[in-house]
Amino acid sequence: MSFLNILQDTRHPSLRLLDMAYIVVLAPLFLILKVPMMGFVFAVLILLYFKRTEASKLLISIIFILGFLAIFLSLYGAFSFRGLSRLKLFLELLVYVLIVVVSAQRLIKKINFYLLISPILFLALSLFFFHGIVMLTYVVFEIYFLLWMILAHRMQGMLIESFRSSMVMFMYSLPWVVLLFIFFPRISFEHASYGFKGEVEQRMGHDGTMYLDSKALLVPSERIVMEVGFEKNIPPSDKLYFRGSILYVDKKNHWERLPRYVKRRNKTFFAKKGKKTKYKVTLYPTQKRWLYMLEQPAKIIKNSHLDSDFISTVKEDIKEPIHYAATSNLSLKFRASLDKKTLHFSSAFNKEQNPQTFLAAQNIEKSFPKTKDRLAALLDFFKSKSLTYSLKPSALDTNHTSDSFLFDKQRGYCVHFASSFVTMSRMAGIPSRIVTGYKADRKNGLKDYLAVKESDAHAWAELYIGGHWVRVETTATAAHIEEDASLSSGQNQSKKEKYPLLEKVNLYLMYAKYQVETWILYYSNIRQKQLLEYAKNNPKFIFNFTLGILSLLILSFVIIAYFRKPKCHNEILCILEPLFIKLKKEGYHRGKKETLNQYLQRYSLENPENKNIIDINQCYEKISYAQDKSKETKQQLKMLIFQI
Amino acid sequence: MKSLVKFVQIYKRIEQSPTRFSALVVVLLFGLFLEAYMHDFNLVYITLFFVFALAFTAGPMGILNIGQLEADYLKAGRFFVNREGKIPLKIHNHSQITSWSILACDTENSIAIEMLKGEDSHIISFPFTPKKRGIFQHENCYLESRYPLSTARLVKPIKSHYKGLAYPEPKGKSLQEFMHIEENHYGEEKEFDGLREYDGSQKLSHMHWPSVAKGELSVKVFSKETSSPKLAFDFYKAGKDDESRLSQLCLWVLTCEKLQLHFSVQMPHKTLISTKESTDVILKYLARY
Repeated sequence: MSFLNILQDTRHPSLRLLDMAYIVVLAPLFLILKVPMMGFVFAVLILLYFKRTEASKLLISIIFILGFLAIFLSLYGAFSFRGLSRLKLFLELLVYVLIVVVSAQRLIKKINFYLLISPILFLALSLFFFHGIVMLTYVVFEIYFLLWMILAHRMQGMLIESFRSSMVMFMYSLPWVVLLFIFFPRISFEHASYGFKGEVEQRMGHDGTMYLDSKALLVPSERIVMEVGFEKNIPPSDKLYFRGSILYVDKKNHWERLPRYVKRRNKTFFAKKGKKTKYKVTLYPTQKRWLYMLEQPAKIIKNSHLDSDFISTVKEDIKEPIHYAATSNLSLKFRASLDKKTLHFSSAFNKEQNPQTFLAAQNIEKSFPKTKDRLAALLDFFKSKSLTYSLKPSALDTNHTSDSFLFDKQRGYCVHFASSFVTMSRMAGIPSRIVTGYKADRKNGLKDYLAVKESDAHAWAELYIGGHWVRVETTATAAHIEEDASLSSGQNQSKKEKYPLLEKVNLYLMYAKYQVETWILYYSNIRQKQLLEYAKNNPKFIFNFTLGILSLLILSFVIIAYFRKPKCHNEILCILEPLFIKLKKEGYHRGKKETLNQYLQRYSLENPENKNIIDINQCYEKISYAQDKSKETKQQLKMLIFQI
Repeated sequence: MKSLVKFVQIYKRIEQSPTRFSALVVVLLFGLFLEAYMHDFNLVYITLFFVFALAFTAGPMGILNIGQLEADYLKAGRFFVNREGKIPLKIHNHSQITSWSILACDTENSIAIEMLKGEDSHIISFPFTPKKRGIFQHENCYLESRYPLSTARLVKPIKSHYKGLAYPEPKGKSLQEFMHIEENHYGEEKEFDGLREYDGSQKLSHMHWPSVAKGELSVKVFSKETSSPKLAFDFYKAGKDDESRLSQLCLWVLTCEKLQLHFSVQMPHKTLISTKESTDVILKYLARY
């Protein structure tokens, strides 16, 4: 007998069904339980396993005392009248109390109304603590599972039959859920910020410092820092520069932002002309304040500060994934007014620190009076030095970093290139600065989705030429690239793909995850309005949308039809079923007291041309009454029915 | 469209009333709605919509579960006052889909039917004890179900009713006792016809003692006696009042039927003779007296 048959015949008592429901709904809540509470639950489980009879009043009292002791120990220190007003703590307390009460009632081994509804309460409470794609999947599973258990309880514990019924019900409700989710009117409250945090998450971020020595932050990790959804297609790779922080001050072994005492005139020139690119960013926790935007932002992100260097920051460190919509003008250069203080800091250099570089820069300055020519000469100079892009460069002399890099070691990565280039540009009389951020790669994108990884962290230079800041990709001057260094070179086209299929699959999965997060987890009234607005002007979209809903309906009804159809338990009758359907279609219905033999004979008498029916009848008789259950006979029966 | 019309027809025949679980669903929906709206929390929205959609779906599913069932009374046995009888009810599922968790109820009893497969029938019996003789009706029966989510109590009334006749309660002196008293009135004992097993109803004078001595309880049978209807029950002598008389007569009639004895009942205006009328007719006369 197969496992399914055993399951089919087994009837599960209500308490067992309830236990199964508890296992499913308590699983996520276990992640928030403190150790004393876990100990309590463990003790209750042991009691439930070993004590098969109803618990005495004394035992129940002990359980209550232990439970409330566990609650006290779990929340010790976190409790105060002020603390109780905090929603999460209050909910945690509610979960603990519910666990204690349910444990006591479960030990009594009597099902009452409150015990029946407790799994639903646990499910509702777990929604407060978790938020994410995993929880979304789990919640849908939980809802289905609870439905299954409720139906199993109603259907005398028959798991297989209740599974079929619950699937029917679930599929009936699915199209409603989808339609309600899309069209149910939303209001513009902020998304809840609570949720299970787990360990402190941190992605690499920029903090206004760039080291050139061993502290240099080089993270060739494939972890995702940002996910970007463009309104249209992803721009070319050479325009995917996400600005992080701007560094002006050379501190020998590292670069820093402008000192805090410098008060600048915060005049920002937003690009009025040019093509604007709209995109949405999901930035994972960096534990820093910087937001990332492409090139020249055209709008300020809500609740953030945008300075005159087009650097966007928030007031507090980013400790949770944040989502923002941004618009940028993807131009290589942008207009900016340079005030005296900024000009001072972006022109400052110490010629004693890098005398060789200074000498070379002076030569260029003298030879090329025009700034543009000087920039070209600087680039040529870098190219002439036969520099090697390497992720494992030998240590530079931090007292003379540019000299050491350009004239001695000649190996380094983006920070060394950018640092030396900015130093030399300043020495050549061009105000310049370093920009740190991310240089994304289109290869990590799919349709309108782009994943920015930690390994995309990058540094480049910006030179002030003709009233504009001009971006210069300094690593492009490298004459050689070491094999393992292509990741962070900013020259992504040379990136090697070891497992292209795996990377493609991974990218598709990330894309799916991003779409789910965008359209389900972070679906909001803004998105709803956008969707409706878009639908108003796009009949094709309405057509596609209707088609999608219809497909969902058809799929639901197919699944419903499959699970609603009574399951055929007799093997021979299952084989004969297509024949019965055909005969019914022809108007031949089997009489209530008519045997199968009589039924088939009646048909063959009225339809003598259909000789297969006689053979089918004989075959059926052979299997059913002559005990011929060989595979060949069954196969023959199938073939005969198939021929009809 | 045809299915929809059919569903509407079924829907009209079903009575629905909410249960306390429906109140729970309302509370849950309200709580989830507040949570979802206050925090714009999509996981809660999804749960809210699922709860709503499932509760919404439960209605038609429950109606289809019970709506396709038809119940008809079957012919029952005899009913006697203060004696429990059985009223059989045949429930047929006209759908191809199995119906679940059905209760067949009357005013006093409810009988659970776990499942009823499609195009299948199930016979249940309602216990019924008539309180007085005469015609009675078993009505106000209904099929009830809380399938699938227990949020609604769905009731399908059974329109037909069972009309039966309750006979008087068979009680009083036993036939054997009557025979002892009425011994002299029995026919002549001539023409010895053989022996038969003593079953307690025969006179002691008919005992065949030689057989008793051998260990067999036999009585003598006379051809004259066996052919003559000697059991004559008189209505007025059967008891003190009408009800006790009818009960007494009912008991004797049933005993005679069991022993295959012929008898006659002298009623005030009619004589009922077992050779002319069936036991049921005689019992009916007693019931309707």
